[in-house]
Parts: sequence; C-alpha cells; structure tokens
Amino acid sequence: MTVLSFLDPLRDITTASVLVRMLMAVVCGGLIGIEREHKRRPAGFRTHILICLGAAVTTMTSQYLALEMHYFTDMARLGAQVIAGIGFIGAGTIIITRRRRVKGLTTAAGLWTAAIVGLAVGAGFYEAAAYTTFLVLLAEMVFSRLEYRVMKHVRDICFFVEYVGNEPLDNVICLLRNANATITDLEITRPSDSEKEDHFCAVISLQISGKGQVERLVDDISVLDGIVSVEEM
Amino acid sequence: MDGNLQGQAGKILSEMLTNCKISAKWKERGGVMTGVLMYLRELNMASLLLRLTLALLFGGLIGMERERKRRPAGFRTYMLVCLGAALTMILSQYLALMLATRWSDVAQQVGLTTDASRFGAQVINGIGFLGAGTIIVTGRQEVKGLTTAAGLWTSACMGLAIGAGFYECVIPGFVLIFLCVRVFPRIEYASTARSRNMSIYVEVHSMEDMASVLQFLRTRNYTIFDVDLDRGSESSMGHPNAVIAMRLEHREPHTAVLAAISKIESVWTIEEL
Repeated sequence: MTVLSFLDPLRDITTASVLVRMLMAVVCGGLIGIEREHKRRPAGFRTHILICLGAAVTTMTSQYLALEMHYFTDMARLGAQVIAGIGFIGAGTIIITRRRRVKGLTTAAGLWTAAIVGLAVGAGFYEAAAYTTFLVLLAEMVFSRLEYRVMKHVRDICFFVEYVGNEPLDNVICLLRNANATITDLEITRPSDSEKEDHFCAVISLQISGKGQVERLVDDISVLDGIVSVEEM
Repeated sequence: MDGNLQGQAGKILSEMLTNCKISAKWKERGGVMTGVLMYLRELNMASLLLRLTLALLFGGLIGMERERKRRPAGFRTYMLVCLGAALTMILSQYLALMLATRWSDVAQQVGLTTDASRFGAQVINGIGFLGAGTIIVTGRQEVKGLTTAAGLWTSACMGLAIGAGFYECVIPGFVLIFLCVRVFPRIEYASTARSRNMSIYVEVHSMEDMASVLQFLRTRNYTIFDVDLDRGSESSMGHPNAVIAMRLEHREPHTAVLAAISKIESVWTIEEL
C-alpha cells in the first residue's frame, strides 16, 4: 500500500490508531445507519454504530494479541465469527407478514455489510472501509431511486378480481390468454360473509409481454359481465 | 476408417494453427494484458477499487432481475451482500500482506500466520442464516423463498471470488447466474405449465364436501396420487382442506381445471401449488 503511505503510522496498534479506528467505525456505521433511520427502518443509527464498533473492536483485539502481546494466534479468527454472528442478528430482523411477504431483508443485509466495514476499520484497512461505506451509501441513496424505476417495468403482476356466478372467470381467463398474458398462479376463494351468496374472489398472478398493458387489461376485464371489481395489487 | 478420419482432422487442425499467425503487435498487447491482469491480482489501490465496484455492479445486476419479479430480496440486498463478501476477502489479503511486510518482524518472532480464507468461510455460513430467514412455510404446505435464499447465497459466493481477484471465475460465473435468474424461470414455467401432473390446495365447507370434490376429479378421469386431508387449521379459518396431487387425463390448461373445480358448490378456496 504505497499509495496511502501517510496512513502507515496508523497501521500498527497504538493508542492513537485505536482511537482513530474507533472513531472511524462510529462514523462509518453512523453514515450507513442514518440513511436507514431516515427511512424509519427497525435498525437505525445506533444499531449500525454499535455493530460497526463492536466488529472493529474484535479485529483490533486480535491484532493487539498478536502484535503487541506476541501470542500465537490467527488474527482473522475473532473477526470471522462476527460475520456469522451478524448473519444471525440480521435473520432476526426479517419479518414475514400476514400476506406472506418477507420484509426487512435489506435491513439485515445492510447491518451485515456494516459489520464487515467495522472489521476492515478495526484491522486498519482504512481505504477499503471508506470506499465500501461510499458504495453502500451509493447503493442506499442513488440506487434505491433506480429501484422504483425498475419496479415500473415489472412484467409480473397480480390482479384481484371479484365476480358473481360461474361464467365470468372463464371469460377473464380467455381474455387474458388472447392478450398473450401467461397466468402463473390462480387462487379462487368465496368471501366468508354469507350475504354474498354467489360471489367469488380470484387472485390471478400473470406475466405480461409489453409495457402499458396493465391499464388496458384492467379496463377490459372490468367491462365484462358479472365482474364486481378489478384491482391491480 | 476411424484412423483416416482422425488423420484428416489432425491435418485440418495443424493447417488452422499455421494459418493463424499471431502478429507481433498482438503478442505485445497480450503481454500488456497479462501484465495488467497480474497487477490486478495483487492487492493495491487499483485492484481494491475495481473489485469493490465490480462486486456492487454484479450483485446489483443479479438483484435487478429478482427485483423485477417482486421478490423480497431486490437490487440493494444483493448489492450489499456481494459487496460485504468481497470486502471480507480483500481484508484477509490485507492482513496477509501486512504480515509479510510491515509486521514481518513480529510474525517471524512469534511464528504468526493468518488463514486467508477464514473471513470468507464465515460469509458462506452467515449468508446461509440470513437466507434461512426468507424461507417461509405457508399454511398450505408450500415452501416459499427458497430461490431467494439460494440466489442470495450464490451472489455472496460470487462476491468472495470477486474479492479474491479470481476474475476468470467471476465472469463466467456471473453470466451463468444471470442466465439462471433470467432465462431458466421461463423454461421451468413452460415445463410445469405443460405438465399433466398437478397439485392443488382445496378448502371446503365441511368434511363431507371433500368427497364431492374427489368424485368430480374422478369423473374427469384424473388419477389421484395423494390426498393430504386436514380437518381445518388456523390458516384456513377452520375450513377443512386438502392438498391433492393428481395426474390429468390429457394435457389441458391448469387454469381451466381450477376454474372448473371452483364451480363446485361447496368449494371455498382453490389454488394450484
């Protein structure tokens, strides 16, 4: 690492380098966390700082044991368990909602990456930690906008159709087939309140071929006989 | 005959080899290329920046495909996991480098070594845990989220290879993973949609109504392999339900089968699994 040779005094374990590393861990964890906090996700500012700091302490400790106390040890051993351990904590942030959706996976992944940044800071690998923090922020702030743009072009959509009687469903399926949409999943339920005797609800998952087809399909389905309501989910 | 053919093939091959004379210029460029590649295999500022950026990019590209399908692990999840995995590998290399240079005195004195794969090994473990969180067993005896977990884990492994600077492995690996999430679902779907085997989940009013469902399936000459009856659980709001595995008499759209079953009076919910 000849490029950033001014950092060389901080590569060893000294009081100054320990302070610098801990401060940098707080800053890196805080930067990653503040964005999550801003979005009101469960793991926010403090969680990220704590995990980043803890991870930094583990790698610093093993360097202290080896380089200062001259114990025979592998410097990667303590830090390696952090990687697995934060995987556990992360898994705890994942929620499965009632509608069988998984939430909190990005939070878990962000927490895990923050821990690894902490490891790098603690090991004194400042340039890698700084650049990774930058990339994480880029992913969180810039690419999350891109995410919405990608979502607009989804070709996998889901319709909720409520209808009366037996015929409408066949017509809907026929219509979708003529529109070149492939039905990937179909669920048909009767609503539980007994007042609606002949009512059915169908949840249709489908893949469509082109853009802007969704609105047209919704319109086409809603004018069919016996259809009570159509919604895109 | 065989020997003759082999001889011919050999002749053609040797002709081809003599015909493609690599010019000196190309050789020189090849030399430069290997030089650059050798440089990037080592740990330095350039390779550090390249590997981390590559990890973000490749992870993001795979994530984008998953995002389009509205799967729980999207764009950013894949990016973060791939990036983190790459950083662990780079960090191991950094420790090894420091032990060989700056800390070499202590290292020789105490006999310190480091295992360059120790950090990376835990990634394989840790992301396995993370993935386990995405796997759901629904009330309808379905397992969901397995592909998400597997994809996340694979992209973490790809991140390790990127971090290690194993570029030859990364590029074909990325292409294959991308193919797997982009093209293969279609093949998978096409094969299941055309299959005569079908597995359905049915919810009925009361236990006796299940008989009418089975009767209906028999009148259509479907072979029923397996019926898994349940007297009613919390997820089905107390309705008796069953998972029926069957084989259709001849190929027909699965949606039509579902629509036909939904017309039976006592059927409350019907879904293909």
